[in-house]
Amino acid sequence: MMDEIRKEIRNIEKSAERLKSLAKDNNAIRKNAEIILTYLYILKFITPVWGEEDQ
Amino acid sequence: MEYWNPYTETLPREKLENIEFSYFKNMFSYAKTHSALYRDKLKGIEADDIRTVHDISKIPFTYKEELRAYQEIEPHPYGGLLGVDIKDVTTFRQTSGTTGKPVYVPETYESWQWRIESWCHILYMAGFRHRHRVFLPFGYNVYVAFWEAHYASEKVGCEVIPGGALDTKGRVNKIIEIRANAMMNTPTYGLHIAEEAMNMGIDPKSLGIERMLCAGEPMPEATRRKLEDLYGCETYDHIGGTEVCGWAGMCKVKKGLHIIEPFFLVEILDRETLTKEVGEGEQGVVVITPLGRRSFPFIRFNTNDVVVKGHSNCSCGRTSKMIMEVVGRADDLRKIRGVLFSPKTIEQLIREEFTDIVEYEIVVERKGIMDEITLRIEATPKLGKDDVENLTKRLKERSKVKTNLTCKVKVEPQGALPRYDLKAKRFKDMREVENDG
Repeated sequence: MMDEIRKEIRNIEKSAERLKSLAKDNNAIRKNAEIILTYLYILKFITPVWGEEDQ
Repeated sequence: MEYWNPYTETLPREKLENIEFSYFKNMFSYAKTHSALYRDKLKGIEADDIRTVHDISKIPFTYKEELRAYQEIEPHPYGGLLGVDIKDVTTFRQTSGTTGKPVYVPETYESWQWRIESWCHILYMAGFRHRHRVFLPFGYNVYVAFWEAHYASEKVGCEVIPGGALDTKGRVNKIIEIRANAMMNTPTYGLHIAEEAMNMGIDPKSLGIERMLCAGEPMPEATRRKLEDLYGCETYDHIGGTEVCGWAGMCKVKKGLHIIEPFFLVEILDRETLTKEVGEGEQGVVVITPLGRRSFPFIRFNTNDVVVKGHSNCSCGRTSKMIMEVVGRADDLRKIRGVLFSPKTIEQLIREEFTDIVEYEIVVERKGIMDEITLRIEATPKLGKDDVENLTKRLKERSKVKTNLTCKVKVEPQGALPRYDLKAKRFKDMREVENDG
């Protein structure tokens, strides 16, 4: 199950990065995309795999 | 569900330690490239030099004095401690400055959320859940105290009531008015609220507090049990600090504190040489590396806190390393007449055996060539003259047994001793004042 979770985190990360770049001229959307990325940093931190823990 | 994060909280030790080692190397590289302090301090040591967990001991400790020195450079006020661009800092915190100039702590949105996530473990293992209406009887300010508690309570799903801008009586009334059923406070202030409630003719048990998390001071087991008895509630402890975050919490087994792993690499090193990890049941100094906080990276921070190391097989199922007991700050341990004295021994004695003492203070003075300890106490008003005399005599005898030192006992009138809502300062070593003066 953790593999599925990690895969989903990577998917959301790609989407959030894309959202951020699409919203370069929109403070509200860009900021909220950045906040999603903040939580993704934490999600990655709390779902480590031995040998793949690089943040 | 028993755990906040069942995955990390029940990982086998070996796996957990491997993950922490990997995180440590990442943080080492990050600190070296992003913080002026570590650019200087780690010169000549590369991440590749850290091949095994044993190599960590080759890395120098970080001391509070270094933090103070490096924050003097630009950018103000964090200076060389900053691990991010200053434009990304969203919150300012500072230490209390009791041992010197305060350390200013920068938090970004990310680092703050990382702290909160760590704190959620503390709350969850202490049984805080959606059903709890948590009263925080403090006005929060530049200190970190209760900000983490507030945001972590929200994240765990509790309802939080900020209880600042009220006196103690007002707080008792507010708890009743809104039917708060959980509370977070210093042990001292928990006792004081109970005392104030009783002065108002209210049994603290009737307040309806079912869960309490204490912070801010080392809490002897006897104090924890006293709070449970007074309020008829479950009382838990945790350990944390402004620089390092909340890093250990107590589970429902209540036999020691779990280190929040893999958020922190915690070393408990022998007090004499600070070179080797102590064994279970032994005292050691805590050295901490937060492993994911980038706004304010620090590596092997010597906290100067002395703890007793516990085992790692708690019946709650968590696999984290444990602290059996917090002994206190290394600074608080004093040699008095050649004997090592810990103020916590007196607190444990008073809370356990002298429930008629409502407040106390320990004063150490030098009289001629001799050091003298005086225990200033306030007894509950219900005691008669004979009872007070008897209590004084017993306290002299029992303190001698517990500390190997003779203590004078001075009975003070009601309200003569200070009450504290944050960190209590019940230990006064006047020998230092004399030396400084």
